[in-house]
Amino acid sequence: MDKAIIKLDEGTTCTAWNYSGHRLAAGSTDGTLSVFDSTDPASSVFSCSSKFKVHESSIVKVVWAPPEYGDVVACICADGSLLLWEEVVEDSELLQWKLCKCFDRISSQVLDVQFGVSQTSLKLVAAYSDGQVKVFELLDPFELKNWQLQAEFQNVIESVSKFGNVSCRSASIAWNPLKGEIQQSSFVLGFDSDTPHLNSSKVWEFDQDHQRWLPVAELALPADKADPVSTVAWSPNIGRPYELIAVATCKEIALWHVGSNPDSDGRLSVEKVAMLSTHDSEIWQMEWDMSGMTLATTGSDGVVRLWQCNLNGVWHEQATLQPTS
Amino acid sequence: MPGLTSESDDLAMVPVSLETENQPVVNYPLRHGLKSPVHRLSFSWACGNTLRVSVFRKPQSEKADGDGEAGGRVVEVKLSNSGDEEVDAARWRRMAYSSVTPFALLQSRKHSLSAASRMSLDIPPYKAEWWEHVIEYSKEISSLLSDRKPPPKSIIEDAKSVVNEIAAPMCLKAAWELLEIFYIDKQSQSWIPERLLDWLADYNSLFSGTLPTIHSKLVDFQQELVGVQVVEDNPNYWDAMSSALAVGWLETVVKLLRLHGSYRFDQLSSRETENGLVEAVAVLISKMPRMRPSLREDNLGECYKTKPDFMKAWEKWRTQISKLDCSSYWLQCDHRQTREGLKNLIQIMLGNPTVLSNATFNWMELFISHFLYVRPFTAGLESMHNSAQKCMQVKPASIPHKLFGLVLGILGENTEVVLAECSRSFGPWMMVHAVELLTAGSTHAEILLHEEHSKLGGVSIEELHRLVYAQVLSSHALTWQIAPIYLTSCIKQGIRLLENLLYKQPVQHSQILLKSIEICRLYELDSINSNIMRIAGVHHWKHGRKGSGVFWLQQARDEFRLNRIAKQLFDFVGKSVSDEGFKQWEGLIELLGSESRTAGGLEFLNKYRDFRRSLLQVHGDTPTDAARNAAEALVSLMKNPSTPQRFWLPLLYDSLKLLMWQERPLVNVSQTQLLLNKLQELSMARLRPDFVEADLPSDALSSVRLALATNLGRAILEE
Repeated sequence: MDKAIIKLDEGTTCTAWNYSGHRLAAGSTDGTLSVFDSTDPASSVFSCSSKFKVHESSIVKVVWAPPEYGDVVACICADGSLLLWEEVVEDSELLQWKLCKCFDRISSQVLDVQFGVSQTSLKLVAAYSDGQVKVFELLDPFELKNWQLQAEFQNVIESVSKFGNVSCRSASIAWNPLKGEIQQSSFVLGFDSDTPHLNSSKVWEFDQDHQRWLPVAELALPADKADPVSTVAWSPNIGRPYELIAVATCKEIALWHVGSNPDSDGRLSVEKVAMLSTHDSEIWQMEWDMSGMTLATTGSDGVVRLWQCNLNGVWHEQATLQPTS
Repeated sequence: MPGLTSESDDLAMVPVSLETENQPVVNYPLRHGLKSPVHRLSFSWACGNTLRVSVFRKPQSEKADGDGEAGGRVVEVKLSNSGDEEVDAARWRRMAYSSVTPFALLQSRKHSLSAASRMSLDIPPYKAEWWEHVIEYSKEISSLLSDRKPPPKSIIEDAKSVVNEIAAPMCLKAAWELLEIFYIDKQSQSWIPERLLDWLADYNSLFSGTLPTIHSKLVDFQQELVGVQVVEDNPNYWDAMSSALAVGWLETVVKLLRLHGSYRFDQLSSRETENGLVEAVAVLISKMPRMRPSLREDNLGECYKTKPDFMKAWEKWRTQISKLDCSSYWLQCDHRQTREGLKNLIQIMLGNPTVLSNATFNWMELFISHFLYVRPFTAGLESMHNSAQKCMQVKPASIPHKLFGLVLGILGENTEVVLAECSRSFGPWMMVHAVELLTAGSTHAEILLHEEHSKLGGVSIEELHRLVYAQVLSSHALTWQIAPIYLTSCIKQGIRLLENLLYKQPVQHSQILLKSIEICRLYELDSINSNIMRIAGVHHWKHGRKGSGVFWLQQARDEFRLNRIAKQLFDFVGKSVSDEGFKQWEGLIELLGSESRTAGGLEFLNKYRDFRRSLLQVHGDTPTDAARNAAEALVSLMKNPSTPQRFWLPLLYDSLKLLMWQERPLVNVSQTQLLLNKLQELSMARLRPDFVEADLPSDALSSVRLALATNLGRAILEE
């Protein structure tokens, strides 16, 4: 039932699987990225196909771009820089990984980055340590070096004046995993910062008519709005009339139902449907399975927990995966 | 694992039970094999129910560096257990594949019948037809679960073989048969106790692993029998017979009785009465009345189809037993063990509760013995359930077997329990396929399974199980292709899950790409189909297989990307007009050209290709007609509004030899004027800041202008 499939190099800090689960990118402390591949789609035998230096400092997070744009990874490094690497054949050379974009880093560090696909373009949301959120847009699908800054804003729901001198420890972004013809660009974003207004998770949606990003929902009860958010996860929706989003704070993992029809203010209805125990640990990662019925979480307690909902709508812990040597 | 008798540790996780709050969390070890302490974990869902967990080691201090241990491991965890060892996994897949056709056939029949009967299958003619379909389905599934091989037939029948060892019958089949008996097989409703008896005879060995059973007792005795000289002196001989008789294994008892020493020729005369008693009991046993239409091969007893006949025969039989019990011949029987053993068998047939309880090992066996000897006229689930409850009080099971749970759920007419037992003990395969039996056989089950649950996003339990099973199938590269059959039978959420599944396929592998496309076409998933082909196209294009890339992008009708590719080609054409360069992109234009409507720019590229071809054929000694064709192509290109402005000058410069054709001017007056106008327009455009200068010699413009002016002069003279 469990089987070790890949041996990671010394100093590996993070891993990321591509869309189909047939390639793994592993970042390490010395700034090297290793890519593991299986030749046969039916086999779970993986071998390292490429290994290359991405950056001088340690890689802290790797994110694959959607496959409609090729084999592209975004690497966030410990010094806060953000780089895009692409596997491509150029000018009759051999297939190799090439740096296609190094995003300018002025004073703040990149904390999290996620790609979102819309009808004609690829979008990239990056959250920075100074509390800024930037949305970049790729206009030519074959030119991964040309990104246009589409928007820049702070994670606040009321349009108050801009917060200065913000310091953020971490941020988490999750796009609406909707696929298909009608794609409404939206994502959820939460911060762990020293500025209470920025922390709570907000759902941002692109307003096509006015070409701007609008906050359409806030996923926090009034008393919890200042709670730092460690990670968020948007569940795939295979037919529910509402969206389901998991938000982990220092206190709990909250599950939210988000309605699909905005009210007169343009806000979506939200309902907190479950509070799952974090077992007094910090949650580092959450991910929904492909049906959106099971949530997996892991954190500082060093185990993977699986959560499910029963017929009465009660969420509960179904299983725990505990590492043993 | 489905199909195996061990307690399932399946984490396929169906949120069906209502009491899950109180259920313990399944704790599962994640064996990573690292020696050093684990620093942190990260994970990712793969297709279906597969989870990949990356286990990172604590970063080593510099001193301890170089111990050669890996920095971490990635462990793949299959939460839905569809086979661990290769044999079992292969068997599981075989079962999964062979159940697809019966399932799909039943669904399509359900659809056509629903359509014909306007949504209700309860109207008589349709109901009867539907029943036939369900019965056929049940038989087919049941037959594919059976992988029992016939026992090897020896030439000389082993007189001492009392138990036929069969290849381990699957728990799944046992469970399926139970559902079939109670929900589907309406013809056997009047003789359910006898069917249960047959069922226990077939599957008693399944319980031997966890419980003491009559089967295991008989197996033990059979081994002992080989070395025994005088069986009737052995108490185990009599115990084995009373146990076998208690659960109605009449042929076994009769066979054992005939091993009695009094049958031996050398003893017949001295033990005449004893032998007579043994034979009398054997005859009574073999003439036991049975309330069933027919007997299975080798089985003993006398069948009665109707209840009055059966009752009459039963009373007669019992009278004969009582008569034998009171016979004076017992006094003449000197062999104590025989006398007591036979009396014990008689007590069993007379339904003595204490004797029956002693002869059986678990409540299910006791339950069957009560049917046979205590309450032979039991009918109806309620009385059967009461009887089962009583037997359980007499023989409580320390470790309840999963099949017993199912039996109790069925007898108690508790659909929730039946569902929970099926789901917990037999896994998603069983759930998906057994639901058809339950909904057909019970109105309550049908309502329960088809009710939409808003808490689960509006799906019914039936659909939920199909979704869960489809995820199990999706977890494996060899079974994901059959998941669509189950997903498309889900009205609410199946299609979107199917789209997610298709989106996750590694379409750079052409076989998977083709299979995915086939599935998309079958279910008219146009959007995901284009997306799959787009992914494949981009992959090929970026991996240097430009032709395949263009082909798949065209299949995907991705005009946006094709236009970008056309633009790249423009740039390439703009850069190099040498003959080698032409050869490189000629093929691509050919490919792109087959659907020139998709991109306006492609029209130009096609015309340009034609022009280049004719121009390449033009040399100093070419006949004027060929050169004239090239000149026509040039003019048509320059006239065409889709020709980008930045190509005007390179085109004209390339065509200098046409403009200065020795023999006679190839371009007439009006055409030359058009070309001159274009040149003029170009000179104006050069003043704009965004103008891109072509990579041509600095005198290109002036030499073209001169050539055109000369040509104009010659053309005027000619006309």
